[in-house]
Amino acid sequence: MPKIRTQRTKPPPEGFEDIQDVLEDYDKKMRDAESESHEGKRKVESVWPVMRITHARSRYIYDLYYKRELISRELYDWLLKQKYADADLIAKWKKQGYEKLCCVRCIQTRDMNFQGSTCICRVPKASLKKGIVVECPHCGCRGCSSTD
Amino acid sequence: MPAKNDINKVGVESSDFPILCETCLGPNPYVRMSKQEYGSECKICNRPFTVFRWNPGQGARYKKTEVCTTCAKIKGVCQTCLLDLEFGLPVQVRDAALGRKNQAPTSDINKQYYIQNLEAQMEDSPDGMAYDSQVANRAGREMLKNLARSDPFYKRNRPHICSFFVKGECKRGAECPFRHELPEENGLQNQNMQDRYYGRNDPVAKKMLRQDAENKGMKAPEDETVTTLLFLGLPETTETDVRSALVFSCPFVKPVELKSLTIVEASHCAFVNFKTRDLAERTAEALSAQGGIEVQGKRCKVVWGRSRPAKGKKPESIEPSATATA
Repeated sequence: MPKIRTQRTKPPPEGFEDIQDVLEDYDKKMRDAESESHEGKRKVESVWPVMRITHARSRYIYDLYYKRELISRELYDWLLKQKYADADLIAKWKKQGYEKLCCVRCIQTRDMNFQGSTCICRVPKASLKKGIVVECPHCGCRGCSSTD
Repeated sequence: MPAKNDINKVGVESSDFPILCETCLGPNPYVRMSKQEYGSECKICNRPFTVFRWNPGQGARYKKTEVCTTCAKIKGVCQTCLLDLEFGLPVQVRDAALGRKNQAPTSDINKQYYIQNLEAQMEDSPDGMAYDSQVANRAGREMLKNLARSDPFYKRNRPHICSFFVKGECKRGAECPFRHELPEENGLQNQNMQDRYYGRNDPVAKKMLRQDAENKGMKAPEDETVTTLLFLGLPETTETDVRSALVFSCPFVKPVELKSLTIVEASHCAFVNFKTRDLAERTAEALSAQGGIEVQGKRCKVVWGRSRPAKGKKPESIEPSATATA
């Protein structure tokens, strides 16, 4: 659910004003994606923009803290608490081999047809037949293994 | 008091492995199959059954079992493609060649009742088969062997044709899992599972039988009014004997549908006049599939009658140039 600011929420630590514009952009994009018409799209395809924007926003925050180190620990924790970024997804990005993971659903083995398998977007393109384009039905990912 | 067992309650339908033909399984000897108890309802009897799903090889669509084991065993067909397990031919062709009658009722409660009883019967019988096998060696089996394919036909496992592509609207492009080809117009488009299973009105079967009949020289005459078949080389027999032989070998013929049956002793032949041209054609195809008709132990040749210019043909007045091939 989106981050709702009430009387009870703690105010953001310093540094929030600098990134506030970018976050508001993401918010606008998300609202557009949510209100898009479903015409001409497959049933699963309608959710893909939402998943993509979530991934992008989480990626932005992850980069700010871990890669570029532009925000403080408190701000980062506050953002995660307020659900501006997906904490589960970021937890996976810290692991080796999952740096470019698209979404948490694609590695969830319980959801898959056969025991212990993952989504096809996790397979490196080198192992797939040449010329096969994959768009995984969960999030529309075209390949998120770290080697691609 | 123990609770009464409801006889109509669906028992546990569970199996370890589906009844499949070689083509459906695919070329790969290692197949990974998923099993789902009560995955969906059988397309024929509408009862829930165990659904198996697997990938039959490269470039193939995922196939799954469409009918339940009971229905498959009743007709002796593969659970997915509904073709005969032994020959890989449609049910209608096999039944026409072997003269097997379709006793199964096909509607509603009758169907459920029949299948329920047959299932109970199958549990008791040792080999798990319910239908009565006909005589082992018949000319029909020879013909079926000739018609059957020798190798598995994997083109059947290809993905279906992309309906959006046919309209020109497929937006998925390269990642579209369906075939981007135009369907060929060959009259085999309208098939449905019920018809194929019960062996009635199956376009593929009709085409096969007609082809076979033409190859054997039993090409249906162009004159649409000819509804007569000739049986040549008859032994000393009576009209009723010929009638019963006909009904025995072609179970879809009802005696009322024969307009007349006349025997000409002199040339050892019989003229069989049908009420409808369609029935005449089907009988001709079936008999040609069986290699003729067997009357009182003797195999007789079957040919089409000739068209008569005048109305009201009397068979006795045919000149004895209808030579008997003994």
